[in-house]
Formats: sequence, structure tokens, C-alpha cells
Amino acid sequence: MSGYDNRSGSESEEEDFNPEPEVDEENMPQNGKERAAAPKQLATNGDEDEEGDGEDEENDEEEDDEEEDDEEDDDDEDVVQRPAKRRKKTSRNQFLDVEAEVDEEEDEEEEGDDDIQDEIHPDDLLETAGPEDDRRHRELDMKRQVDAHKDAEQLARELDEKYRRREMQRAQRSAAGAIPLAHPTVNDPSIWGVKCRPGKEREIIMAITKRLDDLANAGRPVRVYSAFERGGTMTGYIYMEADAKQDMIAVIETIPNIFMGQAQIPIEVKERPDLLRKRKRTPLEEGKFVRMLRPPLYRGDLAKVVEVHANGLDCTVQIVPRLDYGLGEDANASVEGNKRKRPAFGKAIDRPSQKLFNETEAKKKHMKNLSMAGSGSQKTFTYKGDDYQNGFLIKDVKINYVSAENVNPKMEEMQFFSVTSADGTETLDLVAVQAAQKAAQSGSSFVSGDNVEIYDGEQKGVRGTTVSVTGDIVSLRVTEGDLKGRQIEAPVKILRKLFREGDHVKVIGGSKYIDEVGMVTRIKDDKVTLLCDSTQTEIIVFSRDLKRAADSATLGNDSEYELYDLVQIDAATVGCVIKVDREVLRVVDQNANVRTLLHSQVSSIVGRNRNAVATDRDGSEIRNDDTVKEHGGEGRVGRVIYIHRGVLFVRNREVLENAGIFVVRSANVTTMAAKSGRAQAIGPDLGKLNPALQAGTNGNAMPPPRTFGRDKLIGKTVVIRKGPYKGLLGIVKDTMNDEARIELHSKNKQISVKKELLTVKDPITGNNMEFGGKFPNRSRGGYPGTTPAGGRTPGWGNSSSRNGPSWGSTPTGGRTPGWGGGGGGGRTPGWGGATAYGGDGSRTAYGGDGSRTAYGGDGSRTAYGGATAYGGNDGSRTAYGGGFNSGGRTPGGPSWGNAPAKSSSNNLSAPTPGAYNAPTPAAYSAPTPGAYGAYSAPTPGGPPMDAPTPGGNYDAPTPGNSTTHHPTPRGYGGYGGGYGATPAAAPTPGAWAETPWGGGPETPAPSGMDEDPRYE
Amino acid sequence: MSGTGAFIPPGAQRYMRACMVCSIVRTEQQFKTSGCPNCDSFLELAGNADAVQDCTSSVFDGLLTISDTTKSWVARYQRLEGYVPGVYAVQVEGILPEDAIEAARAAGVQYYPRDGSVSEALPTDV
Repeated sequence: MSGYDNRSGSESEEEDFNPEPEVDEENMPQNGKERAAAPKQLATNGDEDEEGDGEDEENDEEEDDEEEDDEEDDDDEDVVQRPAKRRKKTSRNQFLDVEAEVDEEEDEEEEGDDDIQDEIHPDDLLETAGPEDDRRHRELDMKRQVDAHKDAEQLARELDEKYRRREMQRAQRSAAGAIPLAHPTVNDPSIWGVKCRPGKEREIIMAITKRLDDLANAGRPVRVYSAFERGGTMTGYIYMEADAKQDMIAVIETIPNIFMGQAQIPIEVKERPDLLRKRKRTPLEEGKFVRMLRPPLYRGDLAKVVEVHANGLDCTVQIVPRLDYGLGEDANASVEGNKRKRPAFGKAIDRPSQKLFNETEAKKKHMKNLSMAGSGSQKTFTYKGDDYQNGFLIKDVKINYVSAENVNPKMEEMQFFSVTSADGTETLDLVAVQAAQKAAQSGSSFVSGDNVEIYDGEQKGVRGTTVSVTGDIVSLRVTEGDLKGRQIEAPVKILRKLFREGDHVKVIGGSKYIDEVGMVTRIKDDKVTLLCDSTQTEIIVFSRDLKRAADSATLGNDSEYELYDLVQIDAATVGCVIKVDREVLRVVDQNANVRTLLHSQVSSIVGRNRNAVATDRDGSEIRNDDTVKEHGGEGRVGRVIYIHRGVLFVRNREVLENAGIFVVRSANVTTMAAKSGRAQAIGPDLGKLNPALQAGTNGNAMPPPRTFGRDKLIGKTVVIRKGPYKGLLGIVKDTMNDEARIELHSKNKQISVKKELLTVKDPITGNNMEFGGKFPNRSRGGYPGTTPAGGRTPGWGNSSSRNGPSWGSTPTGGRTPGWGGGGGGGRTPGWGGATAYGGDGSRTAYGGDGSRTAYGGDGSRTAYGGATAYGGNDGSRTAYGGGFNSGGRTPGGPSWGNAPAKSSSNNLSAPTPGAYNAPTPAAYSAPTPGAYGAYSAPTPGGPPMDAPTPGGNYDAPTPGNSTTHHPTPRGYGGYGGGYGATPAAAPTPGAWAETPWGGGPETPAPSGMDEDPRYE
Repeated sequence: MSGTGAFIPPGAQRYMRACMVCSIVRTEQQFKTSGCPNCDSFLELAGNADAVQDCTSSVFDGLLTISDTTKSWVARYQRLEGYVPGVYAVQVEGILPEDAIEAARAAGVQYYPRDGSVSEALPTDV
């Protein structure tokens, strides 16, 4: 009716005819009170009617009826409570009004609606109006008289009855939907939006209802006409309809959960209909996929509609059950304390995974809850009140528990719903899948340039290229057929993407294969098979999820695991990741088995233990990053990347298998190279175990000879051989490790130059003094020319490789004498050692000391000088030495020889062994001595050095020295005993013995005496 | 008529149903005992549990309380004019059985589905 109001408002021509829109409203509910105005009103009506007559035939009729009505109602007109003036008119008019409405309706209906024809006012039907006015008037009069006699109560009842009927009719008519919806006008009450606590809307509405009821019962005016909420669409708001804000506030003020703190929002007139908009529910159809909304256990799960019940309120769905078969039950939970536990609000409940119903599982714990019906494929289980068929849960739910929107089923979810056909092959119900997928399809899955095909509708079969996409409409340029070149538009719904075999495509959504890139190998309908670039496997995806790809595969979504991570698989198993895939990891475990694991099956990354150590088959330690070689087997080589309890994960970049990772037991490899040159024990390092050595007194007491005291180079005149100062002459003012500060002759400047770049010059003659030059200096001009040359030269020779050290060694020489002289005894063993083991040990052991050994070499050489055992340059030098002092010594030589022999690894190696092989070396298995050798080596160097110098000066002391020597050998022997080497000891002393003999004279010679103080 | 009160206590709100014809919301029990205040003339719900099941729906949306069905624009818009004041639903799901529709028609009421399935796009005035 309100529609009419509107209309009457808007169409002003009819205004006079159909005067007051509000009348209706007023008339209906109110019980008449106004009587007096009636006749007058009637008259007016009549006038109006007559005017109207000309316009509409039907009007006439109706008006007649109207009049009758009026007659009937005359007395009751007191209904209206409005101000008199208006009332008069309106109340009188009410029927007229109604009729007018009907009128209009009919007018309209003539244009369109036929139904309404029979919806004539009952009063109309009661009396088919006669044409004559006067008769009617008479009737009216009579009626009025009758009415007058009726008592008021009865009248009221009649009226009530009548209006009731009329109201009903109206309501029915409005419910009939034939009337257009009443759009709000400014004359309607206002609507406010009121904030409230989300989720409490219904409660609030009920509270308001109660309040309104109370008001009405108390007989007080109710000024709030309605209040409503829109649940899911507008949570947190309720809406109030009232004339004044104050009225509205008065009602809601004290209702809990309404937020009065915030201003109420007046809703604009034109927005009001939106508040009441109904949302069309996506219709459910059998076979369609839906998402569950409730119960929480299955929220979000894919379900298939099995049946929609007739009332449209319930449906039966098929769900993949989530059952734990009582595994999660608390066995100790008391029976009576069976309170329902509510999970904390908003907290996701931990739910069992989706799995088809398993009879055996159910029987385990819940036999009593399980019953069975039917057989074969019709077998149905009832378990805990739910029905299960073919493994699915068959559940009746209300339709608002499921959602048919945005279902977007994924392929993997669909797997469950595959249909097992008669021959046992499982096939997806692709029609359903497609339906579900199609619903989700929007324009966004098309990009310009896609090849598409219209597969439905009139333009079915048309193919083209997407030009643009607007919402769900795609415009495409037709590329084939009659329409070629034309640009047409088509809704997304009827389009599918078109690919050709061989196309390179990328998966852009919808499945777990997202981002996979591959080549199309087969196309069937809108299912496309492609061969993945990355995995070389075939996958099937919907064409809508594909786009043409220019790029090649990128690794899928990031996994938390990376290639070569060491991961924990279970408590006892670790593995090294050799392939990271979207869904799975390939891992080679500690038993060298390659496993394929889901990401979820891997518990954690173990990481690398920097301190992990293993020992190889030789007992050498292996650490991460060492290079090892498999012993036996394939002899694989690689770098250790993880050490896990004696198992090595070794990586070899050149191996393709398992990403180059192989697993070996540490006892089955040999170390090839240790990272950072860590010393590799050739055997176990017994030195560390040896208490004698540890004790330090004798054994290791002697530190590698180092330069002590004043460097002999200091004060020397030198020429610089290299660098920016090449050729300049200067005097060494100071020395540090391998550098010398030189004061240049030419320029008053001190520079630092490497010692090795210096050549010592004779300040007087300007001759090169070679290395030996130092000695003479040392001896302070004793025999510059002569002495040095012989013995020292070889020294140079040796040291040429490492000049610096050679220097260092020089002093050693100095010591040797010391040896001879005083405490030498202690060291002698060291010597002995040297002799015994030969230089080997020493060399190996000492880096820098090697040079010393070299020295030793010198010495020895000098010693051998006579022996001439050694060829080469040394020989010549030796010769020198020989010429000088060593002649006599040479005999001793042999014993020394050992040392040099080995030490000679530089130059002399070849010969030496020849000489002494048999006894010494053989006897002393290489290992032990290592330590000794170290010390011993230099020492030998000493004697020779001494030899020359002393030779000249201190004959006398020498003997004394020699004496001292004697003990030494013994001492040595003792040593030998200490070591595994002992057996060898015997010979050595022998050798030693000789030394003194031979060397006796020389050793003592050691001017060393002088230097003793310095070096000790 | 409001004397009885349309208020439904929270405990009973679980059993609320809405008449598919007029959308009035009452509890199932209320429907069974006293039927639909607006439509009982033809739906005859009172005392007829089956009819209550068929003609009322527990799936509805938007609770709407109306104290004055004539003055309220909301009521008009919802086609509730002339109905008793009370609690209604904005949208009611469900399909009215054919015979009920027939009965409504016979009673002069054309059933207008309230589930949003019929377009509200109407010939607007202008």
C-alpha cells in the first residue's frame, strides 16, 4: 500500500482524487472515535468522486462501494487520532482512499497484472453497486439510523471485525508480491544503525522486543516501530526504526551489549532498502561440492551433496570423516564428570586428519558403538550415531551449515571422492568437479593473450584470443571460422582456455602444482596433461589453471628444508636432503637408503656440528670439510659435509647420483687432505702419550733452535739484491724475524728489507761474503776468508731455499759448541736422536726447523766432507769443509751421516741412505723419532759448524768437550730405551760413539765455548 | 496482541522457526500450540506438527522486531503490513510445499518466497 502512498505523493495530478496517502496507515489500526465529521466528510467525498468520475469509469463503481462503506462506517470514524482538520478529510476519505488504491492497482493491472483483478475488496463483492445514487443515499441514511441504535460496543466489535478482515486482505495482498516494494521516503520513520557486540545481535533484538512488549502492555506509546539485525552480513550492528532519535535511544539505553558510547548512525533514505536486502543462497544441487561450515570438526572440508531435502532446509552430504576412533579419549576421565569441554573461543581445535572410515579401527575401541547394515557396496555402518557408507560419513545437515560458494575444490581433495567403477579403476566424478570449478571461475583466471574457446551457448566452438577482461566478461578476437577477426564478448562461464599440445604452460592456481611449468602433452576437454619441467612427471590440471609460460620452472613454494640439510627423520635416523620438492623431500639416510619423505615427516633440521670428529681407518681424525677417500668399494672421494656418529655424509660434486651425496662409515675411509693443513698423524701421536716427553726434562726439552741473542747479521755491510733499493749498500742495524733494518750508505735512511734479499759484503774488499760470511764475522775476523768457505757454503746451499732459517740456524751452530762444552750432555741425546733417526723426523716435524736441519746438513756435510758421500754441489762444499777441519771428523761423519742423510732430503738424501740405511733407519721405525728428529736435527748441524771455527782456536778445550760427549751417547741410549725405538738404540750409540771420536776434537773445538753463554 | 509478547527467552531461541509465508518467528512449540498468528487461517499449523515442519523454517536470517506494522517502513518493505506486531525474519530459507502454496492462494494470499530467490528488482515508480 505504501507503494501507493508514494505514488500518490509523486503523481500530483491524482492528488485531489486520491487525497491523502497517510490515510491508510491511520485508518487501519485505529478504532474509530470520530463520528461527527462523518457526514460532512462524506459530502466532500462525493464531490471529489464526481470530479473523478469523468476520468475513470471504474472509479465510479468503486466510489459507490465506497460510499456504502462510508455509510457503514460513519459512526466509527472516530478512529483517527490526528488533528481535527486533517482528520476530517482523511477519516472520511479512508475508504475512498482504499478504493482509490485499488483503482490505481487496477489501472496498473490493466497494463500488466491480471491477478489483481480478482483481488477486489470484499466489500465490493458484497454489493454490486447500483447505479442510482439516491437509492444509495437512502440506504445510507437507513444504515446510519440503524447504527445509531447500536450500542457502541457492538459497533466497535463490528468495526474491529471489519478492519481485521481488511487488514488481512491487505497483508495478503502485500504478501502476494504483486505490489512493488515500498521504497522509503522522507516521510517514513528514520532508521539508525546502532553498534553492538558482534554475535549478540539476536539477543539484543529479543531484548528490544521484550521492552517494546512491556511498553505496549503498560499502555504507553511505543515509538520505536521496528528493530532488526542482519546477522552475518552486518555483524556488530542493529538497526532501529523510529521517528525520533530520542525515542530510539530511550528504548535501547539500558540493553546490554549495545555500545551506547558510539554515536548512532542515521541511515540515508536511499540506503535503507539495502539494509533489508536478501541474499540469494546459492542453490544446492545433488552431486555438487560444497564446503562445510559447521560442525567445527568438518569446517572447511569439502563435501558432496547427496541429497537436498524437499523442504529445502536440509541436505545430506558426503564427507570424508575425521575420526580418531577414541584414540584421543582420556581413559581416566570420570564418567560423571562428563562436562562438555568447550575449546577456547576462536581456538582452532585439533582435529583428526581426513581418512575414510575404517571398520577395523572402529572395532578396536568402540565395538559397542558400531553397527552394520547392508552388504557389499551398500554396506552401511553406524558408528556413534553417524552413518558411514563406502568410507564416507553420510550426514544430514542444515543448508546453512554448508556453503556452495567459493568451493574451489582442489584435486587432492577430490581424490577421496573418486568413484570406483565396476572394473575397479578409480575415476573422479569430473562432472561434479568441473561444476564446482566452474563456479569458482572468474575473469581473473584469464589474461589477455590466452587462447580461449567458447564451449557453451550459441557461439559454441568459437575460438579466439583474449583481448581484455572486464569483470566476468572477456572480449576476445576470433581467430578461426566465419567470425575471424571479429571481436566478441563472452562471459567467463562459457569460456575455457585452449592450449595445444606442445605448448609450454605454467600452472597458475587451483592445484598443488601451482607454479609448475611444463609442456602440454595431452588435452582432453578442459583437462590438460603436462610434463613438468622440473620433475619430468606428468600431471593433470584444468586448463583454467594454466597460462602460457615463457619462463621455466622455478622451485615451488619455499620449503623450510634446503638441499644438503641434515635432517632428523626419526629418533634414530638422520638423513641428508638430496632433493627438495614441493611436497616431498628426498633424503639419503645414514644407512645410505634414499627415502622420499613428506615435509611433515621430517622432524627437524639437525644442522652441522662443528666439533664433530671421526677417525678414519688409520686413526686420523676427520672433521667436517676434510677430503676423504673411500677405502675399497668404489673408492669414492669427497668432502665430508656431515659427521654423524661414525657415519660420514660425503659430497662429491662430480657425482650426479643423490646430488653427489654418499654415505660411508668413517672407519671405511682414509683422509686425503685435512682442511687447513691440520697435522695428520701418520699413526697415533704417541708423543702426546709419552710421559717422558711430556715430562719435558730431557726429551722435548729442547725447543726448536731459534735465534737467540744478537743476530750476526747486525753490523754487516750488505747489498740489497732486489726491490726498490736494489743494488744499494748499507749496514744492518737491526733485525727482526726475517727482516733487517738497513742503514743505507747512500742515503741517510733506514729501511726494512727482507733478509733474504741481502747479500753480505765484505766492507773492505766489497766481495760477496756468501752466507758463511757470518761466521767469520762471528769469529771476528778470525779467518774470514778461509774457514767460512768450506763448512758454511754447504750451509748456504741448503738454506738457499730458506734463507732466513738458515740464518737462524747459524747460531745453532753456536750452540753446538756449547754442547760440546757444558750442558751439552743434556742435549746430546738430542743429538743422538738426530743421528739415530736421521733428519727425517726433524724435517717433518719442523717447518722452520727444516732449515736448521739443513744446517745440520751442513754440519754433517762438512763432516762428510771427507766422506764425500754426497755428490752434487754439496759435495764440493763439503770438500771444502773437509779440507779444513772435517777431515778428521769425517770418520765421525758416518754417525752424523745419518742425520744428514735424511735431512738431506733436500739435497743429500740419495746418498745417505746408502750409507747407513741398514742400521739406523731400519731400526727406528720412522714414527717415534719424529719428535726427536725434530730436535736432533739442528744439533747435528751444530757440530760441523763448530768444527771449523774452533778448529782454529780452541784445540785444548775440545778434548774436554769430547769427554762430555761420551755421556751423551749413553744418554741417548737411555732415550732409546724409552722409546719404542730402543732396539735401534744400540747401533746408534755406536754411531754416536764414533762421533765423539771423530768429532771429539772438533766438537770441543767449538769456539762454541764463547758462544755458550749466549745460546744457553 | 502484543500482550502475549513476542519475546522468546534465550533458552528457547534455539528452537526458533520462521513461518515461510509471513516470516514471523516463534518457537517450534509456539507454532505447534498456537500456529502462525498471520497465516493460520490457511496453513493450519496449530496442533499439526508436520505442517509446522513443512511450513516453517529453522533457517532464517535477520531478526526483525516490529511494534507497529503500519507505520514502519521496514514492515512495509518486508510486506508485513497488517500482520501482527512481533518478531519476524528478514530472510527465510526453505521451500513451501505445493499444497501450502495452493492453500495460501485459495485464501487470497499469494505466496511470496522470502528466501531471496525472487528478484526484488521491481518496477520502481517514476
